[in-house]
Amino acid sequence: MHLTPYTTTTTPKKPSPQSNHHHHNNNILHEPPPLDNNNNTTMHRSNQSHTSTSRSSDSTEPNDDGKWAPKLLRECAKAISDRDSTKTHHLLWMLNELASPYGDCDQKLASYFLQALFCRATDSGQRCYKTLSSVAEKSHSFDSARRLILKFQEVSPWTTFGHVASNGAILEALEGEPKLHIIDLSNTLCTQWPTLLEALATRNDETPHLKLTVVALAGSVMKEVGQRMEKFARLMGVPFEFNVISGFRDLTKEGLGVQEDEAIAVNCVGALRRVEVEERENLIRVFKSLGPKVVTVVEEEADFCSWREDLVKCLEECLRFYSLYFEMLEESFPATSNERLMLERECSRSIVRVLACCDDLEDDGGECCERRERGTQWCERLRNAFSPVGFSDDVVDDVKALLKRYQPGWSLVVSQGDDHLSGIYLTWKEEPVVWASAWKP
Amino acid sequence: MPVDLDNVSTASGEASVSSSGNQTVPPKPTTKKKRNLPGMPDPDAEVIALSPKTLMATNRFVCEICNKGFQRDQNLQLHRRGHNLPWKLRQRSSKEVRKRVYVCPEPTCVHHDPSRALGDLTGIKKHFCRKHGEKKWKCDKCSKKYAVQSDWKAHSKICGTREYKCDCGTLFSRRDSFITHRAFCDALAEESARSQPQTVAKASSESDSKAVTGDSSPPAAVATPPPPPAPPASPKSNSVVVSSSALQTQNPELPENSPQVIEETQANPAMSGSCSSSGTSTSTTSSTSNSNGGGSSSVFASLFASSTAASATASLHSQTPAFTDLIRAMGHPDHPADLSRPSSSEPISLCLATNHGSSIFGTGLQECRQYAPPPQPAMSATALLQKAAQMGAAATNASFLRGLGIVSSASTSSGQQDSLQWGQQPGEPEGASVPAGLGLGLPCDGSSGLKELMMGTPSVFGPKQTTLDFLGLGMAAGGNPGGGLSALITSIGGSLDVTAAAAAASFGSGEFPGKDIGRST
Repeated sequence: MHLTPYTTTTTPKKPSPQSNHHHHNNNILHEPPPLDNNNNTTMHRSNQSHTSTSRSSDSTEPNDDGKWAPKLLRECAKAISDRDSTKTHHLLWMLNELASPYGDCDQKLASYFLQALFCRATDSGQRCYKTLSSVAEKSHSFDSARRLILKFQEVSPWTTFGHVASNGAILEALEGEPKLHIIDLSNTLCTQWPTLLEALATRNDETPHLKLTVVALAGSVMKEVGQRMEKFARLMGVPFEFNVISGFRDLTKEGLGVQEDEAIAVNCVGALRRVEVEERENLIRVFKSLGPKVVTVVEEEADFCSWREDLVKCLEECLRFYSLYFEMLEESFPATSNERLMLERECSRSIVRVLACCDDLEDDGGECCERRERGTQWCERLRNAFSPVGFSDDVVDDVKALLKRYQPGWSLVVSQGDDHLSGIYLTWKEEPVVWASAWKP
Repeated sequence: MPVDLDNVSTASGEASVSSSGNQTVPPKPTTKKKRNLPGMPDPDAEVIALSPKTLMATNRFVCEICNKGFQRDQNLQLHRRGHNLPWKLRQRSSKEVRKRVYVCPEPTCVHHDPSRALGDLTGIKKHFCRKHGEKKWKCDKCSKKYAVQSDWKAHSKICGTREYKCDCGTLFSRRDSFITHRAFCDALAEESARSQPQTVAKASSESDSKAVTGDSSPPAAVATPPPPPAPPASPKSNSVVVSSSALQTQNPELPENSPQVIEETQANPAMSGSCSSSGTSTSTTSSTSNSNGGGSSSVFASLFASSTAASATASLHSQTPAFTDLIRAMGHPDHPADLSRPSSSEPISLCLATNHGSSIFGTGLQECRQYAPPPQPAMSATALLQKAAQMGAAATNASFLRGLGIVSSASTSSGQQDSLQWGQQPGEPEGASVPAGLGLGLPCDGSSGLKELMMGTPSVFGPKQTTLDFLGLGMAAGGNPGGGLSALITSIGGSLDVTAAAAAASFGSGEFPGKDIGRST
């Protein structure tokens, strides 16, 4: 297909006054190009049909007052679904005019979703995803990863929430055990463990032996992470052993080095979403076979799973989630933060993966499925093998204390004795964004 | 490793002793009796074993009339008097010379053994409570838990008011993020190891030139460094390990109520010539002092060059970005310098030395008045010391001061220099085993400075450094023109492979700007 070459002279607009947006809006909505004349109604219909979430806070009409990006993107997704190439072309062109990865939230959303929709429209999703991944991998180093994650944790509880909750559950479940073995599938580079090591070192009873087995998709930085962990454990006086296993496939008791006399904890912070949807049940069964005392699962609250075939609905849910995320980043980081830019770029990969790649993307081990599920969905899966463990008051207090130290807007919601749901939610401006839970056999 | 708290409390007791000792007799080299291990009582003392219940009981002396409880029998007796009950105050008899010591009822505890009994009842109570009791007092700010209410109170007062400082200069207000950062941060340690050779060269050349420009300063005062000693040690010398374990045993569970006072004055690997990146070489005292001389001269020279240095403290410093900050900080007599320096590749080495005030520089050396030392804690600790810091720096520091001070007089000869002393700790056994190359001369008048350090007054932190963005990236955001697809193409172009070309081509735009492609590589 042919696209008008975009202009390279567009200067990124600073987060602009409202009037600017209205200006765009007016352009877009009130002066549609001729071929769009009959399309407003379609767009509205598609809006109303969206049922991306079951939460009551969601209105049927997405609440994006003054946000042009979601509207255009929705319309574009619709056009792609309808195989209306003229309209698709037109909307892509328009989005490209307005989007910028350096602009405000709308412009960023437009930029990254445009990329995904473009890939979808041109069937180039896999290629694009691989390219983005390999670029990311090339620029990926221990230093940059460390910088990024530590900075993120300084300004936002997005990951530390899960760490504190999981550590609390793990420490309680393994209380008094002399030999601990934590199997960690998380994607947070072991940043969860220093505080746990410190807690173990100051535990009332004898300091236990800790074996940490990290299951990593990208093993490139784990060696350095391991060195840090070993050094820190030494400093803390915790007898420590560190192992790395690469790939989620073929996890076995033997492969993980599980010993009979060890008290096992399995820790999955942002881990399960990276497993292929079809593999998830299986992996949970593997967990069970390890005989863990506790399994902790922390996931971002979004459902990229239920509408895999339906681009419009899937886009809707992605938009909801990433709007929140981008807004959170914008309020957490200073305007020119490079860390923020890097986090956004990570999102851009995920968005392409979810919206523009089919699921049978060949898995060469470094791939990472991005199909998030909601807490209720994970509960359903986990219930087949485990029963939920509530977080104790102490842990809940710890998490609350953690949130107090970040900027306003964060809070904790404990799920209320619902049969289908256990665990706690981190909410950002009343919207649940991260879900944490603990399980036992 | 189990650590016992009583080490801590005893140590902090010592700390105050030593600080006040310094106050009264500042310039005198410390000749304190070597402290015993905590809980090494007089063998003749009467050993008392109380039950856990007794130890935990708060008011175990209860009035039978009104059920009011008292901590001491004496108080109860006085109270009984009010009920017109018979009462009897125990007379303090002069025969009671026999000292009492107390053992911990917990059989696995080291203080269960009478040979390690503790000397006072309050001590054993707190020990038992902290170490074996339930931590039921919880700080509602940071949710840290305490077994002893007074610990909790003390912590609550200061919780959130302190900052944790990493060697790299980053400040943290939150303990957990500090801990996490600490585990991952080693940039400076590595940096110092890497940059060492150049630094040495620079330091010496700079000191030469500046010594000249430092006009009136006699060369003797600013000793030109002799050739640095050959790098003798590997970064992981034994001594490092030793000090590490020493730290561990001392610190793991200090009550957090001691204020944090980590002033980082690191021994400077660069300053000690090429004395190994860890600053913990096995070099001899003489080599140490030599390198001290070298380092000091360079700093002095810099100080001379700095107009604000009037009452600055001197520190040995290598070329780092923080250097100017340091100098600037030192320009304010009210604020002890914020001496943050990379010190070692292993986070474990410690180094410190104190100078007691007036004797630091020969009074005859006029130039040296510039260095009339403000109250300046001389303290050094790196790495996990931070842990000690957050929990009870006073105790730790005190023991460092005692244990790790090393003699390194600036030596190279000249009568003039006799008065120039770098650190005055007598070489105790530990001191001797402490890696050489640690001599860090900081003028310290030994009284207020040290005291301040012990007390952990916030001003110890001196002028607040803004958190340095050590994690910053070189990438500039916001400056890139171009729309979304441009960025897409950029990133695609970045992969420089066939895929990229294909992807780019699929945009049907043969004219994406060269700069995008160029930039992306």
